[in-house]
Amino acid sequence: MNRKRSGELPHWPLHLFLLLMVVITLYPLSWVLTIAFSGGQSLAISNLQPGAGLSERLRAITPWPEHFSASNFQSLFADQPFARWLLNSAVVAAATTFLGVFLASTAAYAFSRFRFPGRRAGLMSFLVSQMFPGVLMMIPLYIIIVQWLGLGSSYIGLVLVYTVTAIPFCVWMMKGYFDTIPRELEESALIDGASQAMIFFRIVLPLAKPAVAVTALFSFMTAWNEFIQAATFMNKEEMYTAPVGLRFFVGGYSQQWGYFAAGSIVAAIPIMILFMFLQKYLVSGLTAGAVKG
Amino acid sequence: MRSLVRPPSHRRRFLIGLACALFFGIGVGLALLIAARTAERHQLAAREAVVTLSALSELLDRVEAPPPAAEGGLGDELSALGETGEPEAPAAEPAPPQEEEGGMGLGDELAALEGGAETAQPEPGEAVRRAVARFATEHPELRSIRVVTFEGIRLEASTDPADTDARAAPRRLEREEKDVYDLGQRLRAAVEENRETKADGGAPVSEEISIRELPDGGFSVAGPVERGGAVAGMVQIRVAPNPVVKPPAPAWLPALLAWLAPVAVLVLLGLVLGERRTLLAAAALVLLAAGLFGFSRWALGVQEAERRDTARQLAAHVNAQQKTTGHLLAELGLGGASPLHPERWDVDVYRVPRELVTAKGTLDEGRLGEQIRLDAGRLTRSVAVLAVLALALLAFVGFGAAAAVGRNLVYYRVAYAYTLPGILAMILLSFFPFFYGIVLSFTNANIYNSNKSITDIWVGLDNFISILSDFSIARSTPDGLVFNYQNFYWTLGFNVVWTIANVAIGVTLGLILALMLNTRGLAFRPIYRVLLILPWAVPTYITALIFKGMFHQQFGVINQIRQIVGLDPVAWFNGPLTSFAAVLTTNGYLSFSFMMVVSLGALQSIPSDLYEAAKVDGASRWQQFRAITLPSLRPALVPAIILSVIWTFNQFNVIFLVSAGEPAGATEILITQGYRMAFEQYRYGYAAAYSMVIFVILLAYGIFQNRATRATEAIGE
Repeated sequence: MNRKRSGELPHWPLHLFLLLMVVITLYPLSWVLTIAFSGGQSLAISNLQPGAGLSERLRAITPWPEHFSASNFQSLFADQPFARWLLNSAVVAAATTFLGVFLASTAAYAFSRFRFPGRRAGLMSFLVSQMFPGVLMMIPLYIIIVQWLGLGSSYIGLVLVYTVTAIPFCVWMMKGYFDTIPRELEESALIDGASQAMIFFRIVLPLAKPAVAVTALFSFMTAWNEFIQAATFMNKEEMYTAPVGLRFFVGGYSQQWGYFAAGSIVAAIPIMILFMFLQKYLVSGLTAGAVKG
Repeated sequence: MRSLVRPPSHRRRFLIGLACALFFGIGVGLALLIAARTAERHQLAAREAVVTLSALSELLDRVEAPPPAAEGGLGDELSALGETGEPEAPAAEPAPPQEEEGGMGLGDELAALEGGAETAQPEPGEAVRRAVARFATEHPELRSIRVVTFEGIRLEASTDPADTDARAAPRRLEREEKDVYDLGQRLRAAVEENRETKADGGAPVSEEISIRELPDGGFSVAGPVERGGAVAGMVQIRVAPNPVVKPPAPAWLPALLAWLAPVAVLVLLGLVLGERRTLLAAAALVLLAAGLFGFSRWALGVQEAERRDTARQLAAHVNAQQKTTGHLLAELGLGGASPLHPERWDVDVYRVPRELVTAKGTLDEGRLGEQIRLDAGRLTRSVAVLAVLALALLAFVGFGAAAAVGRNLVYYRVAYAYTLPGILAMILLSFFPFFYGIVLSFTNANIYNSNKSITDIWVGLDNFISILSDFSIARSTPDGLVFNYQNFYWTLGFNVVWTIANVAIGVTLGLILALMLNTRGLAFRPIYRVLLILPWAVPTYITALIFKGMFHQQFGVINQIRQIVGLDPVAWFNGPLTSFAAVLTTNGYLSFSFMMVVSLGALQSIPSDLYEAAKVDGASRWQQFRAITLPSLRPALVPAIILSVIWTFNQFNVIFLVSAGEPAGATEILITQGYRMAFEQYRYGYAAAYSMVIFVILLAYGIFQNRATRATEAIGE
């Protein structure tokens, strides 16, 4: 491991271990691909008989379909309401992102730029709210949103739930970024007669574009991938989000693994690519937040 | 003592303070009063419906044919099915229409009587249908009456407009009417459960009467029909909206007087007292008390009058029902020797008589007075709470704190305006629900009673006691120890083991991979890195579900691999240990990437000259690792481990989606257990208490972790 004396240790054991880990990593994912393109709903690609030989058994654990077919993808959109579920996910995630980032950016700006009574308490309250365990929050939220406000199985209800989850993280991320923007710009604008609102919308927000983008993408990803709250708040089948719908294919006694795999690919690939680009921000954001907390 | 500071006038502050405090106290009090009166009216409507239903039940009882096998049992205990719809006026009016309709219907009835009731043998259902039809004509406010028999899943009688022609009763219930049948079964279960608790000396726990408000303001009420001691069917009626529901007009004048009079007095007193702060405060206090006292006396009077009025209306309704039912009995030839039992008609949802109406159908004044006293006590308590709050408001304004806050708000208005939307959202949707959750944890709220007032379902510390004081984790049987997987301490223990095992696996694997990838000159490093991050990038629920598939006993690839090696297939989710192995594998797969990325980032930020210097000093590889690598990793690794402990402790998706707690809840962690209580068993109060315990555990961990980290940092420096 010491890079100084590279060459002294042979690299092949490392490659061996790393390759093994890569195989372990890719094996479940390749099953998703295999089942998706197998054209069937079965979890296994071949039906093993009790007396099957070694070659048949090896074939059964090889994630490669017997023949390729896109029929799962076709009927996912043609026969199943998956397009609707994707749309639901998109609407909820987009609305959450917009609302969350808007509420968080204004608050983060005030926390970064002004010193006022209650500032510390306000900032801390965002952190503290992160400690409320999800299930504890879900019970009262369910009663309030579904039973009191009658917003069960509606976009608004789920967006509200997601937004409160997203705001604290967004506030801390953006406050950190606003802190790095020099104040001189705003001060000179103030002298030139700009109003507070103008300064925020015309100067600060454009300067903070990278932070806004990263924060927004994270909010979007979180909302897009969230499962349990969506499963609790969206009871009607036509209001399912993509994760709830995918679970629906293979939950209970339903065993439609082909639809599940195909749907997973459609729902996850774009978000995974996004994630790959963003993960370095996530690490710094999370660990920085944790250090501060 | 005259104040020397001119601008803040004590006189003005106390005046405003008193006005605000009184406005608050009286305003909220008035709102509560109006709400209470509306609720009272609403309840009256529901009670009248129940009375109607009880009357119908008693009528049906008499119809019961002698042979026990016959379907008679409808009437027996069918209590509270009735709808509210019956207003005073219709109750009084039926007389004329009765003649008219009775005249028309009577012929039919008599004809039927000759054929049916006289002989009483042919079909007991026929008699029920006739009684129901007659009852319906006497009660124009009833939209429909339906009688369901469990035996044969039959719709025995129905006056619903939809149940005519091909669908006319009697017939078998159809598939779409399953909810009707289910409702009946639920009532039957409730009756049986209550009978058991009653045998044990307990109070009834399940509602034996279902009262549902319809969108148009009417009610749908259903109750069980008993025969020979067992519930044999159900009666359901729908009642049109009842005019008594309309809330009485609020009286503003006395409230206005209670508000303005003390303020006026303080104005006058202010002329005498000047700016003497202590005296002003005392005067304001006395006036506040006087104002609130006056208001509460008046409110008590209003409340009592309302109570008497509704009681009288109810008694009138019972009387009317008694008369109508008596007529029907005579007319249908069922005029049994025994009199009706109107005192059993006004019952609560557990079919326990409220005892407000006596057997003669008159009002029990003693009982009424008792209820009024109870009301008064409740009202006095709420006024006391209001008074304390109003006093706080008075002090807040009067002593100048409000002015200071106001000045701050104005001075920093820009900052507050920016933070307001975000903070408001957090208060409404995060902090308020959190505190509401705390309150819920002291109640036995469930899906049926969660809109009742908190005081009605308050159980104090019962939930916490029953969670924490249950130590029956295991009992020994001849077969060895048998664990109680539903026990809190089992779940907690499992949760801790689960967290430690996962974090250990994640950190070890992540660190090893990071150290390997950090080797200088390693080929394909970026490719390895990207591929090894994949488990973190895939949405958790997808990974969890595909692992669940891979662990499938018959088709799962893991068992197929085992067979190649010559091992037997395992039913992974049938045993606690194998199930644990399955969830642990899944979460290990999910968690190492994050640790690897964090460690790799920290490793790459270590300047290489540190190692060079160490080498010059002759340090061995192990010494270099301990003295340079590990300390440099710590600032990044410690927060990451803290985070991952909390994440894993609350790793809902893996447990919920992979093992689902199988077998029998053995692999349930606290958070999934709490979720099941709330959203599968609908025990909101209990689940809230459970969640509170989880929160306290996490909080304790957070504080402990914080201390520990600080301590080690201090040593490090």
